[in-house]
Amino acid sequence: MERQGRSTLVDLYFERRAELVRFFTLRLRSAAAAEDLVQDIYVRLASAEVDAEVRNPVSYLYRLGSNLMLDRLRGERRSAARDAAWRQTHRTELGGAEVAEEPDAVQAMAARQRLAAVVTAIAALSPQTQRVFRMHKFEGLSHSEVAAALGISRSAVEKHMIAALRHLSETLP
Amino acid sequence: MTGRGPGQGQGGAAEQAAAWFVRLQGETATGEDWLAFERWLAAAPAHALAYERLESLWVEMDSDAPRLVAALDAAQRPAARAAHPPARPPRWLWPAIGAPLAAGLAAAVWLGVQPHPQPPAIYQTAPGEVRQLALADGTAVRLNVASRLAVTLSADARRVQMADGEAAFDVAHDAARPFLIQVGDRQVRVVGTEFDLRHRDGELRLTVRRGVVELRPADAPDAAPARVTLGQQLTHRDGETGVQLAAVEADDAFGWTTGQLVYRDRPLSEVAADLSRRFASPIRTADAETGRIRFTGVLVTDNEAAVLRRLEAFSGVRAEHVADGVVLRRARAAR
Repeated sequence: MERQGRSTLVDLYFERRAELVRFFTLRLRSAAAAEDLVQDIYVRLASAEVDAEVRNPVSYLYRLGSNLMLDRLRGERRSAARDAAWRQTHRTELGGAEVAEEPDAVQAMAARQRLAAVVTAIAALSPQTQRVFRMHKFEGLSHSEVAAALGISRSAVEKHMIAALRHLSETLP
Repeated sequence: MTGRGPGQGQGGAAEQAAAWFVRLQGETATGEDWLAFERWLAAAPAHALAYERLESLWVEMDSDAPRLVAALDAAQRPAARAAHPPARPPRWLWPAIGAPLAAGLAAAVWLGVQPHPQPPAIYQTAPGEVRQLALADGTAVRLNVASRLAVTLSADARRVQMADGEAAFDVAHDAARPFLIQVGDRQVRVVGTEFDLRHRDGELRLTVRRGVVELRPADAPDAAPARVTLGQQLTHRDGETGVQLAAVEADDAFGWTTGQLVYRDRPLSEVAADLSRRFASPIRTADAETGRIRFTGVLVTDNEAAVLRRLEAFSGVRAEHVADGVVLRRARAAR
C-alpha cells in the first residue's frame, strides 16, 4: 500500500481539477453544480477529515466526490422524511380529523408497500448472493472483508453484488 | 480502459450500470476505471439513467436499513429452520452406548424427538466475521467477530454457553423454557428480551435494551439474582464477587450490529483489542500509558485504513504500520 501525504493528494487534486469538473458536470448535468462539488472535494481534502493512506489516489478523488453526491441525495431523503414527520405530529396536535389525514395515510401505506417490495426482491436472491449483499450493504464489510469472511474470491463477491443490484433495479418499480 | 471494467457490448444498461457501480466501489478501482466509466456514461443517456437509478436505490436502502434488515430476518426465520434440521449427534458422544442403540437414538432425533443428552449446536465467527443466527425457538442472535456459542434447545430450557465473545440476543418469549447463558463464572437468565452480552478478556458486560435479565453466580443458581433492566449495563470481572450497575445509552452497546463501534470514555487498549478482532492486522498500543488514553467517539467499521484514519483524527494518536501489525502511538504534536 502506497503512502500518500495529504499535500500529495492536494497536489493531485489541482492536477486533475479540470477532469473532475468535466466528470461531475456529466453526472450532475450542470457545470455550476459540478464546480461547487469539486470545491467541496477540496474542502474535505484540506480539512483533517481526510488523511494519509490511500491506495489509488486518483480513484480516491472521484470516489470522494461521488460520495458527496450520495450524501446530498441522503440529505434530501431525510429532509423529506422530516417534513412528513412534522406534518404528522402537527396534524396530531391539531387533532382535527379533517386536516390532511388522507394524504399521510396514503403515503404511509405506499412506504409500507415499497418496503415490502424491496424485502421481497432481496429475499428472491440466491442464498449466497443474499449473504454477500447483506454483509456488504447492511453490515458494512468491504468487498475483501466479505470475501475473507465467506472464503470466496473478491471477484466472486463482485459478481454476487452485480447480480444483486441488477436484480433489484430490474424488479423494483 | 483497463479491461477489468464492464464492456459496453455486454448486457443491458441495468447490468452494465450494476457492474460499474460495484467496480467503482471496490478497493481496487483506479483512475483509469473512472475515465472509462465517464466514457460509458457519455455514450448513451440510458446509461446515466440506469446508474442514477442504482444510486437512488442504494441510498433508499440506507435510510430504511434497520427496518429492511428486521423484515429480511423475519422472512428468513422459517426458511432457516427448515434448512437446518437438528444435526444428528455424532456417535463419539456416546462411547458407552452400543452402536444399535446409538443408531436408534439418532433416528429418534431425526424424527424430531429430543433425547437427553443432546449435543449442542456450535456457532462461531472468525476475526472480522459477523453472523446472524436464527435459533429454532425464534430467538435471533447476532454474533460479533471472533466469538463462539454452544446452543442446546431442550424441552425444559434453552441453554447457551459463551466463552470469549460478544453477541446481541433478541430472545423469543417462552415462559416454559427459560433462556440460560453460561458466561465466565456467571449465569444469565432470561425469559424474553433483547440485550447485548460481551465477555472479553475476563470482563463481562451485559446491556439490556428491552425487558429484564437476571444474573447469578454460575455455581449458586439459587442465589438472589442481580436484575438488569432496560437502559442499564452490568459489568463484572471473572473471579470477583461484585457486579456494577450503571445507566447507559443501551443502543451504544448494539452499535456493532450496524457496523459502528460506540465508545464513551473507554481506554484506548479496549478500542485496539476490538479493532484487532475485526481486521486482518493486529492493532496494539505502544505502551500501557498509551493504552490508558480515554477515547470517546463512534467508529464506522467499513475498512481498516479508514477506521485507523478516523481514530487518529479523534484521539490524537498515530497509527504506525509495523511488520506484525499496527502500533498506536501518542502523536508528537497536536495537528
